[in-house]
Amino acid sequence: MPDVELGVLVQPAAATGLAGSLTSYLFVSALLFLCGLAAILTRRNVLYVLMGVELILNAANLNFVAFGRFGGYGLDGQLTAIFVILLAAAEAAIALAIVLRIFNDFGSIDVTRTDSLRD
Amino acid sequence: MLDFMFVTFAALTVFGALTMVFHRSIVHSVFALVAALFGVAGLYWTLGADFLGATQILLYVGGVTVLLLFAVMLTTRETTRVSLARNALMAPIVGWLGVTLWQAYTGVAVVLGAGGVTPSAEPEPTTNAIGTALLERDAYLLPFEAVSVLLLVVLVGAVVVARRRQEPA
Repeated sequence: MPDVELGVLVQPAAATGLAGSLTSYLFVSALLFLCGLAAILTRRNVLYVLMGVELILNAANLNFVAFGRFGGYGLDGQLTAIFVILLAAAEAAIALAIVLRIFNDFGSIDVTRTDSLRD
Repeated sequence: MLDFMFVTFAALTVFGALTMVFHRSIVHSVFALVAALFGVAGLYWTLGADFLGATQILLYVGGVTVLLLFAVMLTTRETTRVSLARNALMAPIVGWLGVTLWQAYTGVAVVLGAGGVTPSAEPEPTTNAIGTALLERDAYLLPFEAVSVLLLVVLVGAVVVARRRQEPA
């Protein structure tokens, strides 16, 4: 039997089981997204809202990388995820600066009590 | 082996996220977030994204959570519990969105499965290729430079915003 046909017949080891299916990664990603959403909806401390946003960004990143690997898009998914991580870090820095200012001005970081933009 | 890694990291991710949402103490929540983010880095590794997993640990586990801990220590005094009575409306919303999301995901996965590519058994190292793609004019050079400018703006902006207001004399 020629080598070419052998290459077709041999199944890649990584393509079986949980780690070899796109659906399992999508499941974890959906759970992460829902946890982030629950944190944003149920908590009144603005830091929980920030952490929920981070969870949602991570869920999206996991989708990018999983689709990139199982959809055959090469490195594009990973590169997009790198940019998302960079933007998330920038967002966290700015958001925490704003949180400190809100705490100085209102004496609290309860999202239901910060209801004015001026003095 | 890869399945074992996937189950371990997925469990770490999901339990970390659930603990983050429902724990009383916000400091515990931050550390649970660290566990969840580390689990996501492990999931990147099982997907063959070695550089991305290392970046995740450096930037998220090392950077963002330290910022979060500083903010917690500077601002929060009391611990709060998630009140299920007050958030009774949220559970159906989250559940409904979860079902919808899952149906969309599986739908996309079925469409993709028709023309999808079976990943190779041995993932290649990605660092070299990512570095090349980031600095190649036809690939990601423009977003790379734009992000550099954005990070400079963020650096200055964070200082300006967080600085105490000057009291008029």
